[in-house]
Amino acid sequence: MTTRKASTATTKHPSSPAGATIESVRGPLALGARHLHHDHNNVGTCSCFIVPKKVLERFANDKKLSVQQRQYFADAAKLEDEWRKTRAQSAKLVKETRAMLPTGMTAAAIATAAPPTLLVFDCQHGTALPGVPIPNPGTSSDPSAKQAFKETKGVVDFYQQVFGRNSLDNAGLTLISSIHFSVNYNNAGWNGNQMSYGDGDGSIFIDFTKSNDVIGHELTHGITQYTAGFAYKNQAGGLNESMSDVFGSMYRQWSANQTVSTADWLIGKDIVGPGAAAQGYKCLRDMSNPAANHCLAPQPTKFSQYQNGMDPHDASGFPNFAFYKAAKAIGGKSWEKTGKIWYQALTGFPPSPNMKMSVFANRTRTLAGSLFPADPSIKSAVDAAWKAVGL
Amino acid sequence: MAIWQIEKLGGLANFGGARSRLRSVGRFDTSSLPTADEKAAEALFQKPPKAAMSKGADGFRYRITRSTVSGSETIEVAESSVHPAIASSVKDELI
Repeated sequence: MTTRKASTATTKHPSSPAGATIESVRGPLALGARHLHHDHNNVGTCSCFIVPKKVLERFANDKKLSVQQRQYFADAAKLEDEWRKTRAQSAKLVKETRAMLPTGMTAAAIATAAPPTLLVFDCQHGTALPGVPIPNPGTSSDPSAKQAFKETKGVVDFYQQVFGRNSLDNAGLTLISSIHFSVNYNNAGWNGNQMSYGDGDGSIFIDFTKSNDVIGHELTHGITQYTAGFAYKNQAGGLNESMSDVFGSMYRQWSANQTVSTADWLIGKDIVGPGAAAQGYKCLRDMSNPAANHCLAPQPTKFSQYQNGMDPHDASGFPNFAFYKAAKAIGGKSWEKTGKIWYQALTGFPPSPNMKMSVFANRTRTLAGSLFPADPSIKSAVDAAWKAVGL
Repeated sequence: MAIWQIEKLGGLANFGGARSRLRSVGRFDTSSLPTADEKAAEALFQKPPKAAMSKGADGFRYRITRSTVSGSETIEVAESSVHPAIASSVKDELI
C-alpha cells in the first residue's frame, strides 16, 4: 500500500478570507480546504460535515484537479443524494410501520428493514470531513479502509443479532467512517454524525482502526445519542463513556466468542504503539482493574472519588468496573444476560441527558429482576456490583 | 509577539487526565499567524466558545494560557475552535 503522507507547512500560514482558514496539508483536499472549511468562531477550522453537495459538484468540475480527483467528488455528490434518500426512506418506513402495526410486530418490521449503508472516506491526512470516498472499502488495498469497513459491519451485525437493533438509530442509519484523519493523530471520535480515526504517531499509538473495541466504542456513542442522550459532562458524561467502553468491549468479546473469564477486558489493546508498549503499557483502560498501572489512562474505582467536571473518561471508571463485576458474577458471555440488562437500561427509556449514576444503577437493578425473574441471583449480582463501586 | 502555553486535553485516550500517563503541551507564538488569524485567535479570550463538543464524543479540548499586564489568563475550548497551527504546536508524550 502506498501511504500518502501529508506534509505540514512551516509556521507561517497564507492569508485567508475572513472566517476561512486554509489547511496547509498537501493532497486533493488542500485546494478544497479553503472552501470546505467554514468557521463558526472565526478562528479556525470547523469539523462540521457533510460537505454540501454544491461544493462537491464545484470540485467535480474543477479542471485544476486530476480526472480521478474530479471523479471522486462527482461520486461523493451522487452518493450524498443516495444515502440521504435511503435514510429518509428507512425513517419513513419505520414511522409508517409503527403507525400501522402492533408493537410486537414493529420490532420485526424494523429488523427486516434494509441494513445500513457503510461508507468509508479517506481524509488523506487533512481534517476536512468526510474526505474522499473510498470505493469498495471492504476490499481496499488500504488496510485501514478495510479494517474500518469490516469492523463497522461487525458492530452493525452485533447490534442486529444480539439486540435486534438496525444501526445507530434503529432505522438503518448510514454509517460514515473517515480514516487517515490529520497527521500523527492520536485519537478517534464521533462528532454527532460520523466516526473519524487517526493513524496514531507510530510510537504511543498506531492506527486507531486496528482495535475493534475502539470502533465499537465510537459507534456506541451514536447509539447513546439516539437513545438515552447522556450529556457529555459530569455523571451523565461518565455513563456516556462507560456505555461505549461496555459495548465496545462486549462487541470485541462477541467477535471472538469469549466468555467473561477468557476476555481480557482491556480497552484499546490493539492500538498501543511500540513506544508505549516498551514502557509496559498494555491498553487505554482496563475494565477489570481501572486503576491498573498498565493503563495509559488509569481511572478511579469508587464513586466517592467522583468530582463534578471530571473528564468523562475518568468518570467512566466506576460504571465500567460495575459492569465488569456484574458480568463476572453472572458468568457466561457478557452479551447474553448482563449485556441485555445494560442495553435495555440504555435504550428502553426516554432520553435522560443529565442522568445520575445512582439512577442508572437502580435502573439496571430493576431490569435485572424484570428481565430474569426466574433467577434472582442475577439481580443480586448487579446489586453487589454497584455497591462495590459505592453506588 | 505573544507566546501562549498550549495544552491538549481529553480524547479517547484522556490526554491530561488526572491519572493519565499521556500529556500534550507546547508553546505558540501568535505573531506567526497572519494578522486576521491572529486577531481571531485573540478573540477566543474575549468570548471563549464552549470547551465541550455540542454533539459527539472523544474530541480534544485545548487549554490556552496567555500572559497579560494583569496576570495570566486561561481558557479551555473545543478542538474545532482552535487554529490548526495552534493545535499542532503541542507534542504528545508519555509521562
